[in-house]
Amino acid sequence: MRIVVLHKWAPDPQEATVGADGSVDFSRAKAAVSDYDAVAIQCGRQLADAAGAALVGVSVGGEAAARPVATKSALARGLDEVVVVSDPELEEAGSARTAQAIAAAVAALGDVGLVLAGDSSVDVGARMVPAVVAGRLGWPVLADVDSVALAGGSVAVERLAPEGVQSISAALPVVIALTSEAVKTKAPGMKDVLGAGKKPVTVKSLADLGLTALSEGAVTSRAKLGGPARKGVVIDTSDPAAAAAELVDALRAAGALA
Amino acid sequence: MSTYVLVAGNAGVSKLVAAAVELGGPVVAVVVGGADLAQAAAAPGVDRVVWLGEPGGKAAEAFAADVAKLVAADPGTVLAGRGPAERALLGAVAAAIAAPVVTAPVEIAPGQVTRGLVGGLALETRRYDGPVAIAADGGAPLAGGGGATVEQVSANPAAVEVTGLRPGRAAADLGSAARVVAVGRGLKAQADLPVIEALAAALKAELGCSRPLAEGLDWLPRDRYIGISGQQISPRLYLAVGISGQLQHMAGCRDSQLVVSINTDPDAPIASQSDYILTGDLYALAPALTAALG
Amino acid sequence: MPFQLTDEQVLTRDSVREFAEAEIAPIAAEIDQNHRPPLESIGKLAEAGLLGMLIPEEYGGAGLDALSYAIAIEELSRVCATHGVLVEAHSSLCTWAIAHHGTEDQKRKYLPDLASGEAVGAFGLTEPNAGSDASSLATTAVRDSDEFVLNGQKIFITNGGFAKTFVIMARSTDAPGVKGISAFIVERGRPGFEILEPERKMGIRGSSTTPLAFTGCRIPAANLLGQEGAGFKIAMQILDGGRTGIAAQAVGIAQGAFEAACKYAKERVQFGRPIAALQAIQWLIADMAVDIAAGRALVYRAADLESRGEPHGQAAAMAKLFCGEMATRVTGKAIQVHGGVGYTEAYPVERAYRDAKITEIYEGTSEIQRLVIARHYLR
Repeated sequence: MRIVVLHKWAPDPQEATVGADGSVDFSRAKAAVSDYDAVAIQCGRQLADAAGAALVGVSVGGEAAARPVATKSALARGLDEVVVVSDPELEEAGSARTAQAIAAAVAALGDVGLVLAGDSSVDVGARMVPAVVAGRLGWPVLADVDSVALAGGSVAVERLAPEGVQSISAALPVVIALTSEAVKTKAPGMKDVLGAGKKPVTVKSLADLGLTALSEGAVTSRAKLGGPARKGVVIDTSDPAAAAAELVDALRAAGALA
Repeated sequence: MSTYVLVAGNAGVSKLVAAAVELGGPVVAVVVGGADLAQAAAAPGVDRVVWLGEPGGKAAEAFAADVAKLVAADPGTVLAGRGPAERALLGAVAAAIAAPVVTAPVEIAPGQVTRGLVGGLALETRRYDGPVAIAADGGAPLAGGGGATVEQVSANPAAVEVTGLRPGRAAADLGSAARVVAVGRGLKAQADLPVIEALAAALKAELGCSRPLAEGLDWLPRDRYIGISGQQISPRLYLAVGISGQLQHMAGCRDSQLVVSINTDPDAPIASQSDYILTGDLYALAPALTAALG
Repeated sequence: MPFQLTDEQVLTRDSVREFAEAEIAPIAAEIDQNHRPPLESIGKLAEAGLLGMLIPEEYGGAGLDALSYAIAIEELSRVCATHGVLVEAHSSLCTWAIAHHGTEDQKRKYLPDLASGEAVGAFGLTEPNAGSDASSLATTAVRDSDEFVLNGQKIFITNGGFAKTFVIMARSTDAPGVKGISAFIVERGRPGFEILEPERKMGIRGSSTTPLAFTGCRIPAANLLGQEGAGFKIAMQILDGGRTGIAAQAVGIAQGAFEAACKYAKERVQFGRPIAALQAIQWLIADMAVDIAAGRALVYRAADLESRGEPHGQAAAMAKLFCGEMATRVTGKAIQVHGGVGYTEAYPVERAYRDAKITEIYEGTSEIQRLVIARHYLR
């Protein structure tokens, strides 16, 4: 059996800047394996070791996704091999397009029992890709999962629901999106770094996978977002008790208190 | 062409129904959950309620393929909440009808959606020629009272069973809280959390935090973290204590009705985004506020 | 000389940074305040492969090139100079010496444990009367059939308090000056080998710096490292690598302080705007950035020469000299950017400033580096 981990080579949104015209500039942002995907890779490694499965990374993106530094960064975290769908068409792909490419790559691999994903990508954070991948594969998806265990042909997961900790069991194959609770990530060690370049990498284009275009709408406008106008009332705090009383009065007047 | 609202185990979809009504076409609520949930979904604005029957021990996610097939028979724009089950159903539908997916919408109109980009740094409007799959804040629970009758359809759920529920730690529900007190790096030690907890209790507020406290310091559970990759909330009152207000955090609370900040630095980014600004030591101001509320 | 880092070197930087921020940053201030050696980090460092960087793969190490190693030391030191020197002394001064001068038996016996963190390494050259002047070395190793008997004292031995494997320089023949010096591997716990009270230092306070005392300490003759009488040459080779390591440590300390200064300058508001908008602050930041870039280039050059097996002693001396003085300059400016709070323990630049000073002193003072460099041109 293969266990697939979805991972994204994503720029750090902390470094993104927004122009006055609403264009988002990531050119100064350093790319890395998206934070939560590191959780999925490490969790996948543990599951694959326990089940004797191969751990395959699947990544989708533009030209940068297939750069050796991108694939080695993911491999150093514990994957056995990586399949990258890299295509200029995927440069700013949304969840639907991304999922289409991932699902095709997973289907092409064959013998996949489990697809693991992180909670969300650091740069977009839509949290929709695992669900659309599952839809395309016709498999169930479980998101917000805090722990996973494989047992024979099924998977047992736990997640936090409003009513408490929910246990769910699902027959394989299944797609699972993990929270950062699933495992505490560890930085790759020096041997992992040196070994990463020796592992297999397969790069495919959309044409290789026989995928046709999928419309994600046409951008008609962009704008920089300003927050709602705030009152900006500065409360004198030289006497904390008086400041607190003043604030409570203001909140009560605004109907913000219970 | 119908417009769909997906209801998965939770009736909190009032905003989605309102948006669906704006989009026009018959509004169809597709319900995965118990009969009472289906009844609740028959609210004003909903033209049809399609119910997939009692789930028994199945998780809502088990019905994703059924829901997808149902919508694919008459494709239209689909709206769902942001919970894991809702996303599962929405993803299956989006895949089945090859629809683009939109999250964090700020304005939904026929053939056009405006959404926040990169956690709300920018806005982008796109035109769509076909149906769109939209994940958005669901809103208040529906409570029936509309004219639609519940139409039950047969389902063929996948093997996804809920095998247990352990009470104890439950997911924090910051999304529906009217008031949220959030704490950040201004708090010096985990042992000082009771100072903030007392304030939250006095305000009848949920407790939230900035990312470092949930991921890194592990002082609070992850489901209480507010920000770009955490909870995105819009309570009536957001009280930020010891939070500087970096963009990535503000993306999670910018839609709050009222923002109050307690912070040592009068020029921290949070101040320019606050309705009320209290500059000073949280260890003096938070207890004073707790006392004033008591 | 352009440096295009390999993917592996880029990944080394990213991985060590991630490790350092997750595992070391949380304790960096505390171990400094308490003068406490971070023993809990040793297992973690080993697991991350950071104790076997200069140990070949067949002996359990990662077998890193000299530039990757320098990058790793820089990244550790960026967060905590104590961890930087712990790893540097272990690697450059002990594991490198055994890997390059050890017999096959010695390598098999010592290197796997040094890579796995089972043993930490240390190096003993300096004595009360033999610092920069190694020819005054007074510790003796007298041959007695199949043993050597060690007598004498060492001081300022990094990792002394917890190291298990020491490379010790001692005089074993009557040859005058440096010619009679030999290198030995001495294990902690040998009768007659005593580790004395650690120093209380101005900086790198979590680093265990101890005197060592040898009183009739018997070690097997098989523990001779390299040829008898070759000790001084071995020590100088060790220090060539070590100097690049310390220069990398200095760059890391400076980089950490620089980043703290930039962050503070953007957050601190005076006269209605962040102080980063003031030209006075901008000039400080610019000068710091140039200083660090120049120092890093010297480190990369020395490490690159070493990686390619070229002579690198003079390049290492240049890197050590410049970076040590640079780190002191940059950390001082970082405090200046902070103003009063930078002088308090509440901000990390105070620690960086104290930590930086030692990089001008240990493994050869700046004055010795100048001597090495001048001799190269004037001989």
